[in-house]
Amino acid sequence: MTDKISCGSRLMQLLRAYGVDTLFGMPGVHTLEAYRGMDDAGMRHIGVRHEQGAGFMADGYARMSGKPGVCLLISGPGVTNAATPLGQAYSDSIPMLMISSVAATKDLGMGRGRLHEITDQSQVTAPLTAFSAIATSPDQVREYVARAFALFESGRSRPVHISIPLDVLTAIDDKPVTRRAARGSRAPASAGIADATKLLAEAKRPVIIAGGGSVRASSQLVALAERLGAAVVPTIAGKGVIADSHPLALEATLDRPATQAMIAEADVVLCIGTELAEPDIWLDGPLPMNGKMIRIDIDPEVLVRDYDAAVAIEADAALALADILAALPASIPSKESHNQVARIRAAEREALTPLERKHVKVLDALRRAMPDDGVVYSDMTQLAYTGYAFYPCAGPRQWIFPAGYGTLGYALPAGIGGKIAAPERPVMVVVGDGGFQFTLQELGTAVEQKLPMAIILWNNDSLAQIRDGMISRKIPTIGINQHNPDFIKLAEAYGCRTASPQSIEALEQAVTAALAADRPTVIEVRESAGFLA
Amino acid sequence: MTTVGEALISLLEAHGVDTVFGIPGVHTVELYRGLAGSKIRHITPRHEQGAGFMADGYARVTGRPGVAFVITGPGLTNTITAMGQARADSIPMLVISGVNATPTLGKGLGYLHEMPDQRGMMERLALFSHRITDAGELPGVLARAFELFATSRPGPVHIEIPTNVMALPAGSLSAGSANTTAPRAEMSAMVEAANLAIIAKRPLILAGGGAKAAGTPLQKLAELLDAPVVTTANARGLLHKHPLGVPASPSLKAVRALMADADLVIAVGTEFGPTDYDMYGDEGFLLPANLIRIDIDEAQLGRRPATIDIRADSALALEALAGLIEADRRNDRDRASGAARAAEARDAAWQEIGADMRAQVEVVETIRDALPGSIIVGDSTQPVYAANLYYDHDRPAGWFNAATGFGALGYGPPAAIGAALALPDVPVVCLSGDGGFQFTLSELGAALDANAAVIFVIWNNRGYREIETSMRDVGVEPVGVSPAPPDFCRVAEAYGIAAERLDDLSDLAAALKLARATKKPYLIEITVA
Ligand SMILES: Cc1ncc(C[n+]2csc(CCOP(=O)(O)OP(=O)(O)O)c2C)c(N)n1
Ligand SMILES: Cc1ncc(C[n+]2csc(CCOP(=O)(O)OP(=O)(O)O)c2C)c(N)n1
Ligand SMILES: [Mg+2]
Repeated sequence: MTDKISCGSRLMQLLRAYGVDTLFGMPGVHTLEAYRGMDDAGMRHIGVRHEQGAGFMADGYARMSGKPGVCLLISGPGVTNAATPLGQAYSDSIPMLMISSVAATKDLGMGRGRLHEITDQSQVTAPLTAFSAIATSPDQVREYVARAFALFESGRSRPVHISIPLDVLTAIDDKPVTRRAARGSRAPASAGIADATKLLAEAKRPVIIAGGGSVRASSQLVALAERLGAAVVPTIAGKGVIADSHPLALEATLDRPATQAMIAEADVVLCIGTELAEPDIWLDGPLPMNGKMIRIDIDPEVLVRDYDAAVAIEADAALALADILAALPASIPSKESHNQVARIRAAEREALTPLERKHVKVLDALRRAMPDDGVVYSDMTQLAYTGYAFYPCAGPRQWIFPAGYGTLGYALPAGIGGKIAAPERPVMVVVGDGGFQFTLQELGTAVEQKLPMAIILWNNDSLAQIRDGMISRKIPTIGINQHNPDFIKLAEAYGCRTASPQSIEALEQAVTAALAADRPTVIEVRESAGFLA
Repeated sequence: MTTVGEALISLLEAHGVDTVFGIPGVHTVELYRGLAGSKIRHITPRHEQGAGFMADGYARVTGRPGVAFVITGPGLTNTITAMGQARADSIPMLVISGVNATPTLGKGLGYLHEMPDQRGMMERLALFSHRITDAGELPGVLARAFELFATSRPGPVHIEIPTNVMALPAGSLSAGSANTTAPRAEMSAMVEAANLAIIAKRPLILAGGGAKAAGTPLQKLAELLDAPVVTTANARGLLHKHPLGVPASPSLKAVRALMADADLVIAVGTEFGPTDYDMYGDEGFLLPANLIRIDIDEAQLGRRPATIDIRADSALALEALAGLIEADRRNDRDRASGAARAAEARDAAWQEIGADMRAQVEVVETIRDALPGSIIVGDSTQPVYAANLYYDHDRPAGWFNAATGFGALGYGPPAAIGAALALPDVPVVCLSGDGGFQFTLSELGAALDANAAVIFVIWNNRGYREIETSMRDVGVEPVGVSPAPPDFCRVAEAYGIAAERLDDLSDLAAALKLARATKKPYLIEITVA
């Protein structure tokens, strides 16, 4: 026997059955029924200041926990406000579930001018999701939720949007909820493993490129690299899958010449869980490779995209690597590529511009103040472009960056989501003066939730990356030097702690204090500061 | 050599564009090459949502399309809420974005800012979406957009330019000729309408946002027919203080009674949308049986049955109709007094909204009377909802907000900035709640940059009270409706904007006058007890 409750209330129980305990959202008249069931279901609601914040928090939550991040939004503007986070999660393969209301079934597509009406809500988000569906009955809500979680658990994760019409949200739903079993990880086909193993065993100069798809295969990846003596280059999303301090690890420098030259000269390149996309390689075309390519990916389309791989294996990264490790002969010829790692790392640091050297000074200080399990959420700022390569990480998913979609304003809300997912882990946000203003209102959420976070505001008083682009293309600089607020005052208005360190030591201390505080701290670092000169 | 990006700028100039709102990125820098040498002013918001809403506010007060420049991907998805609002409220808006280079499109290669199908998404939101693949397409596409804005129901239009096309040579292009003549009504329908009108005993006019620019012929027709004029939220300001004016929502019983009592209703530029006609979802709204409908949009006319449909520009149709009636000696001189019917409806409506809302409307009236002729841009906050139900603004197109239609919070501040930039000599007040203001508060920076002298009035009731009330109404224990607001005055000061907090509403008028005298952006926080 179950009680007669509304579909909206039942949805809270259903999500709980799938292990969801936190929702990011902002209520409106259209989503009231879901709020009715929250307390009883033991669901935690994190109220945001803009739905864009809810989307990015769900993303940051997912990247920290590996579990899907879930947000609950109103129809129309609530959904369109979160479109950019959907785009970000789509391009970075993040499991995110967006649940929203939509007009009552009788009003769908009728163009009546109802409140929050939109021509075709599910079609607007369709290009940004694995699927976007309207559930027209409580049963369909169950079906779509089951399908979403099956997708999150077994395939390449991408966001899912489920719209629930107002009349369905209020309909009585008296069926109990159950969780459907999902298919487990995909095992590789043995033929591909045999071919890959042979190539790797015989290779003289193998290199491994490890992308975001390999972050759950860290131990297998490191074991394989060590067995082979292969250098490993992580992508930005794969950063830390091998500790940056490991003697076989290159930094996330796929876009830098010395690393690219090494890859070009390798006789076998094992690419695992990576699209080799533009924001990693910064080339207008494929990464030059003269050797044979082995590709392992969960997404069959990626396996054939843009490169002629000698071996393509559709599989979960950890399973495929474990099989290769098991299949490798006991003794294999020694490799040369690892000899180069130290030299290439040195060459790349050597080639840093004066501005990048300044960044490295700051990044090193941040790293010294950050415990080994700390996680940095970074925005689209020059400090982060240097940081994704040269901030040393001990493990995967410790430097988070909105790589593919490249959205300004990502870092603060995503960091909040991360901190909520793992309160015990230190969280830092790195954001520029321009990017910060896209989502600064979420400082209110961070203060309300009493989240100790160190928010590093890299202030160069400009949309510097674009300014530099205009200058280099001889375009008059327009729209890039806006009036900035007094960030310290602004942070105080939201009840944050603040710091404006004037020395490297003071910066380190400010971070240490921030991580131990009872609320967020905004730490402003000016590019022009004397102590960075 | 002129590039596509530069040609675009000169064509926009030729179409009368003087302001664009945008945030540049590596994917749009080529659009900026021609800007410096042009007369077009570039306004930089702090978030592309601000660009969209500013363009909207600019369009509402000028009637000309607001133009936004945004990058592909996140820049564009950041503007879609504003496009949704513009679609719902029929606001002309031109969004020009970049898109990745043509050889990469649709392949899912993971280029920066890539979307699987940017234009596919835009086609759902915009009136149309076009990708420029060749410089020669520019004049025609722009002409099509400007023609559409002028001759049919406006809305957002999207044009995307691939990064590899932006810098191509464009040769010399001249602006295509756009036919911007507003559509006239067919004479036969007008004669039929006039014949119905002259015999009506108790005629009534419903004026919507589509009648904003038709104030003079509207008043003339109303007087000829002695017909009360009910104005929806977007039409307020028409017939200000006129004895025939009924600036009250058709969601109210009082106004519905007036409609039910009428033997002929002439509806001008109104879509009968539920946010005006059925706010409470009580489905108590009945379409008048004897209905003449004037609308520029064919599809709108098709959606509801009317006795006579007239597809035309509202000013032209009203003028023609008034002309026919004036010339017709059979026009009934012996009608039930329109002024008396209007007065009765006004009084009943004012009573109906209750004491709390009356007090909130009085706040809006205080603003109007302190700064006559001002533009008040609202967000979805209690006094704005109240005034949408009953409030008589003192100029057409001077009261608008996003509490109706798409209903996007955070619309007010940037839309007000857009309005102030378009009409620098007119006082502009943004009335927003503490929740709504936070959606777009960083645009204070943009107001300061461009010296948009908006007075931001924040109705701080420390939470989403409208939603809290709805939760209580349906027996839901309030959750997530009391977010702690920041110290708004300090926020303003951090941006270098003067601010003050009022605990007593009786100080509001004086504060507004002082604020206006500064000719700079200003923030007034009202702490609501
Ligand atoms: C939503 C969005 N709009 C625009 C851009 C284009 N863009 C990329 S970096 C950048 C400058 C950001 O400035 P800031 O945050 O101050 O960082 P800086 O480059 O100065 O370090 C801009 C405008 C973007 N990536 N995302
Ligand atoms: C983008 C968006 N998200 C959510 C809503 C739902 N909503 C409508 S009014 C409102 C409360 C707004 O609070 P505030 O601005 O403080 O005004 P108040 O109701 O307290 O006067 C909310 C959350 C909306 N209209 N738009
Ligand atoms: Mg900057």
